[in-house]
Amino acid sequence: MTQPTLALRSVSKSFGMTAALDDMTLELFPGEVHAIVGENGAGKSTMIKIMTGVHQPTSGRIEIDGAPVVMSGTKAARLRGVAAIYQEPMVFPDLDVTENIFISATDGLVLHRAAMRRDALALIARIGMTLDVDRVASGLSLAEQQAVEIARALSQDVRVLIMDEPTASLSAHEAAELRRIARTLADGGVAVVYISHRLEEVFQIADRVSVIRDGKHISTRAIADTNPQLLIADMVGREVGNYFTKMPSTAQDDVLLRVQGLGVAGVFDDVSFDLRRGEVLAMAGLIGARRTDVALTLFGILRATSGQVSYKGRPLTLRSPADAIAAGIAYVSEDRRKLGLAMALPIRWNISLATLKRYLSRLGLIDVGAETDMALSFRKRLNIRTPDVEMTVGMLSGGNQQKVMLAKWLNMQPDLLIVDEPTRGIDVGSKAEVHDLIRAFAAAGGAVLVVSSDLPEVLAMGDRILVMREGQQMAILDSGEASQERIMALATGQRGAA
Amino acid sequence: MMARLKSWEGLLLATLLVIFTFNAWATPEFLTVGNQINLFQLSIEKIIMALVMTFVIINAEIDLSIGSMMGLAACAFGWMFIQGVPPGLCIVICLAIGLLGGALNGWLITSIGLPSLVVTLGTLIGFRGLARVMVEDRGINDFPDWFDALGQQGLLGPVPFALIAFVVLFVVLYIVLERSSFGRLTYVIGSNKDVAEYAGINTGRHKMVIFMASGLIAAFAGLLFAARVGAVRGDVGNGFELDVITIVLLGGVSIFGGKGTLVGTLLAILIVLNLRNGMGLLDITGHLQTGVIGILLIASVIIPRIRLGRRAEAA
Repeated sequence: MTQPTLALRSVSKSFGMTAALDDMTLELFPGEVHAIVGENGAGKSTMIKIMTGVHQPTSGRIEIDGAPVVMSGTKAARLRGVAAIYQEPMVFPDLDVTENIFISATDGLVLHRAAMRRDALALIARIGMTLDVDRVASGLSLAEQQAVEIARALSQDVRVLIMDEPTASLSAHEAAELRRIARTLADGGVAVVYISHRLEEVFQIADRVSVIRDGKHISTRAIADTNPQLLIADMVGREVGNYFTKMPSTAQDDVLLRVQGLGVAGVFDDVSFDLRRGEVLAMAGLIGARRTDVALTLFGILRATSGQVSYKGRPLTLRSPADAIAAGIAYVSEDRRKLGLAMALPIRWNISLATLKRYLSRLGLIDVGAETDMALSFRKRLNIRTPDVEMTVGMLSGGNQQKVMLAKWLNMQPDLLIVDEPTRGIDVGSKAEVHDLIRAFAAAGGAVLVVSSDLPEVLAMGDRILVMREGQQMAILDSGEASQERIMALATGQRGAA
Repeated sequence: MMARLKSWEGLLLATLLVIFTFNAWATPEFLTVGNQINLFQLSIEKIIMALVMTFVIINAEIDLSIGSMMGLAACAFGWMFIQGVPPGLCIVICLAIGLLGGALNGWLITSIGLPSLVVTLGTLIGFRGLARVMVEDRGINDFPDWFDALGQQGLLGPVPFALIAFVVLFVVLYIVLERSSFGRLTYVIGSNKDVAEYAGINTGRHKMVIFMASGLIAAFAGLLFAARVGAVRGDVGNGFELDVITIVLLGGVSIFGGKGTLVGTLLAILIVLNLRNGMGLLDITGHLQTGVIGILLIASVIIPRIRLGRRAEAA
């Protein structure tokens, strides 16, 4: 084989007592897409930070073209041709595409607008996109913004491009486009590092895949020599049996929620479905399908402007989340950081937030003992990995944060649980745990509405699947007649497919 | 976070002990009962308002109108007294004015959705204007003896009413903030208001209560001032809000909300009072005293930042 463009040789990195990376060795060759997978907290971010000069290794060395190098910061890394792009693109919203691409080339030089524009066109063409270089960045889609970032890296002669979960916020179509760009770059000789939680995506794009766990390198294999089960086993260090296998339905006959012609003017309309106790109804669709808005309407955040909701056999009007909670409806938000958890506050406080009244003594003071017992019992039941429940939620990994959010709402003992993207951005081990928790809730007689953009998850969880597209309900499929292809066809507007 | 706060409070306590020891060593009068009580009395209105301001800032809001509300309540008291309204009734009406003024702030902030910085800057000007209209340029004095005595003489031995009120208020508010659901929600709403709303909490009502309490306590402070000085003028409480906010921030309450404790505020109160008292006993001028406290505030913002910086590196 040729010489690796970049190599880590026995790199370790510790912070105080904690070893974030332990004897990591990894080689990145020109022209390959090298996927890196691992559970949250496995050391992926630390590895990126070492490669991009944000952190310095505690021991071991970094080689570029076979020669040891020290990268003292991100600028030094860029000069050596190492760049990273992230889930949230860093673009300047008020500048146009050309200006964004050449943002760091502007200092001290006379700007040759025409030349820059020409170069921008060439770079965009090189990644195989069609994008107007005069458009202002704020009007671009996420995927287009990422393309701008990639073009910016190319303008600086990038040789190693690290893509950290680039497709996590993208719709399926956009993600496919981004993968195509990554492939184009690799074919042009760039070493592409592709970090993703979506295994099916890894198998679509990668030439080789490395698994890391607990800061250690576990395996590197050519993609042809591995399969999802093998990767997952490497990632979790154990066999995961029922990952993404269809769970048996636990639906009862008793209809808990009946939604008829529900709509919010200008957002979505004419959504109708029944939800029975014990049933899991999955809502599938692309970004912009307005699934979350349907959920928010059933939680009293948005006001319905048309249609009826009947709940436990009686009409239900929701004016606020407090109304929904009083009725026994819980909503687990897709946005942990903004809407789900108070990150700077302790785990215990977050878990009891929706049910604080239960832990008040006669004087109106919080019974901290009872509250702590409850939090500890959820730590055990949901396997929340934390030394104690007094730590701030922000210190936990994404998967554990998700469990804290679930604990907050499960403690309410709701009848209807609405979960929005319950496993986005969390590791596979936690995903399986979250799926099991949701199914157990249904099996105990609760009704569940799951909004998810993860098709394997939709198929695994949903007893029935409601597909939406741009504010319209396209179809409700029984799990027997649903497939990824069928759902995608409906979600992209081929009504004839139903 | 708790560890950081605890260690911040430890730092405040150490600073306080240094200042206290130095004062006791440098000036023999410092440790007398008279001086110790005087030390509190001179700033009693500010330190009482600092207790409620702690709630306001933890809630990620600000109330700039408290100094003007103090002035408004004091002037309203003087004006009504001159009109012959019985002093007892004057007190009740003044406290009601405090509640109403706070409710006005709360309504503009929660129902109209304006930022508290802008709303209370507006009412800072408005309340002060009303106070000046009522009293114009004259001072009003000759309040009844019992009223002046309440402000100026000891109630329990040498301890005056206002200091007792401060201690009682501290204990009550400490329990509320640390142990009650109201206190818990003060932190949660200050940390992330949307998360609280999605948990079914009426954040508007919570903020309304806090602003009404802030107005009420400011009016109470205005009455204490009238009794302590025995006279009111249109400029009563002018600029007090800045001293109060300084103390609260020095105590480790985050200006971004969600963090801080009343113990921190209490320690900051004691540091500022002892520092001013010590410098006063050493004949250091008031302007220089203010400068020293300014430096202290800046240090209080910088020191945690340096520590946080180290933490961020480790993360």
